Amino acid sequence: MHPPVSIQIGRFARSATLLLGLLLGTCGCTHLGVKPWQRDVLARPEMALNAEPLDATLDDHIYFSKEAASGGRSFGGGGCGCN
Amino acid sequence: MWALTALARVALLLCVSAASPVPAASSPASPETSAEAPLDLAALRGKVVYLDFWASWCAPCRESFPWMNRLQAELGAEGLVVIAVNVDDSRGDAERFLREHPAQFRIVFDPQGELPEKFGVHGMPTSFLIDRQGHVQARHEGFFMRDRDALARQVRSLLLAR
Amino acid sequence: MQLKRPASQLHLGLMAASCALLSSTSRGQAAAADADGPPLQLDSALLYYKENGGRVQTIEPVVSLKKDFGDQRLLDGTLTLDSLSGATPNGAIPSRRPQTFASPSSTSLTPAPGKKTTLYTIAPGALPEDPHFKEDRVAGDLDWSQPLGVVDSLSFGVHGSTEHDFDSVAAHAGISHDFNEHNTTLAFSVSDEYDRIHAHGGNPAPGSDYALYEKEPSQTKTVAGGLLGLTQVIRRNWLTELNYTFDHSQGYLTDPYRILSVLDAEGNVTGYRYESRPDTRTRQSLYWVNKVALGPTVLDLSYRRGKDGWAINSDTVDVRLRIDLGGGMYLEPHARWYHQTAADFYTLYLETTSPQPLFMSADPRLAGFVGTTVGIKFGVSVGRNGELSMRLEQYEQRPSDQSSALPALQGLDLNPNLKATIVQLGWRLNF
Repeated sequence: MHPPVSIQIGRFARSATLLLGLLLGTCGCTHLGVKPWQRDVLARPEMALNAEPLDATLDDHIYFSKEAASGGRSFGGGGCGCN
Repeated sequence: MWALTALARVALLLCVSAASPVPAASSPASPETSAEAPLDLAALRGKVVYLDFWASWCAPCRESFPWMNRLQAELGAEGLVVIAVNVDDSRGDAERFLREHPAQFRIVFDPQGELPEKFGVHGMPTSFLIDRQGHVQARHEGFFMRDRDALARQVRSLLLAR
Repeated sequence: MQLKRPASQLHLGLMAASCALLSSTSRGQAAAADADGPPLQLDSALLYYKENGGRVQTIEPVVSLKKDFGDQRLLDGTLTLDSLSGATPNGAIPSRRPQTFASPSSTSLTPAPGKKTTLYTIAPGALPEDPHFKEDRVAGDLDWSQPLGVVDSLSFGVHGSTEHDFDSVAAHAGISHDFNEHNTTLAFSVSDEYDRIHAHGGNPAPGSDYALYEKEPSQTKTVAGGLLGLTQVIRRNWLTELNYTFDHSQGYLTDPYRILSVLDAEGNVTGYRYESRPDTRTRQSLYWVNKVALGPTVLDLSYRRGKDGWAINSDTVDVRLRIDLGGGMYLEPHARWYHQTAADFYTLYLETTSPQPLFMSADPRLAGFVGTTVGIKFGVSVGRNGELSMRLEQYEQRPSDQSSALPALQGLDLNPNLKATIVQLGWRLNF
């Protein structure tokens, strides 16, 4: 018997925020990453998280019409880190 | 839930294994460089130096080059020296950029990244304004078209101070 | 109403696209605005989607124009047209006997003076599909993004779409903050959407008898959503992102065109009911994506876990490998695996021997199934500032096996697969 929906949502949300917070803290204090002048590879267009926005939008449209889950993506960060 | 704990474990593993410590941000170093560095700022005492760090993959640098050309041309006679340090891994990439955006100022190649490390560069591009006594007076992270005039005024005020 | 796009999700996607362009132009991407001259980018595509067996097909041209106003202040406008046609399953199951239905715009099942009846008959054993399905849609988006200082950025946008039976408007806004010398980015955004549903022939009262035509002229629904994202540079050639998204829908969530077969103890059809869905739905997802450069080749690997208040859990694994062929050409094979569990009110049919449930739907989109996509994309640079591309994909849905013990249904295929072909042509130009 599944627990009520509200409890399931709460659990998922809590786990997700916990994970994000954990990663934030971990990534922060181990100083992961590269020097600002070492972003040549990351600056390549194909390394952008959303390198093909139209493909992604058209695909999302198809999968939204045919499947129950949708979206989830957003792309801030990466790239050359300039300005 | 198991998926999330697995994800967390993998992420932690990634973070720990891939960690390469980034040195604490250094305060702007004295421009007196050692003999090994490709840049001897001590020799430029008496001049105002606009020290810029750029790379071929940095889009705002495409805007900054024409502006730095004008700055060097207009204020060179008053003692301004524009020096642009390239941090590209590959010299070919840097030279391709220079063909597309010719520079009428001094270019220094530092593929090992010694100078940005020494000066404490936290983002690309970054420029330092060094006065005639060799002290860093200002540091600008990023290049914004809207700040050009303010920057030029800052350079002029350093040139006036003797 | 088949190929509806939730504006809120579209927004998150487009805001993301603007953010990416923000990050890309501010971060030196050659494909985006070349600050040397062209601050204008045209990105266009033509999508052709076709399902097997004479089912749904759509042609969808999209045009997007991005202008850089200097210092990474970007305006992005997109126009999408969508023309849909073909037979679409109406939710009833196959039967040994022929079945007759009226298309949604009819006002009566039986011919009568002053009543409109467009009937279609389904052969024995065939999946009931409405062949009259036709829809044209126009959608527009406008997005703005700009930096706030050196480490923050802001974006917001609006979206609108209209088609014969559905209108939608939405807005979104987001901010992001970089730290650890631009190695870590935290992003937060919210969106809100307002939809009006006015099905052909009216919106049926959920769960009502198909023959009684109890319909409302128009109903609304709203969707509010939020996203929290973390992007981290792991190595010089490795970027990763983790996003948590949440959305809550409220209002008329029932599909106005879908029915369920009502069967007696033998499995013979005694009638049909319109489906009935709850008037709220809460969804969450956790999405993890990695971009790794292996020399000139780039690997894109992602996993998404979804959960929702209708008990639908989903897992999606997506992998792409962009292989640089030299000479400005690339080849990108793609594979996607998707699995979802059925909604808790999903059922293949209703039975007269059981009381009618409060919520029920035979919509295959809410069923349990595995969806697989295999595809390949080819791209070539044209001149200094352009790129042409072509994408070919095959999508297949295999429902979880649902068999029935009812005598009249033996030997009937109750779980037909869905197969679709996707062809897309793309053209990008920097001015």
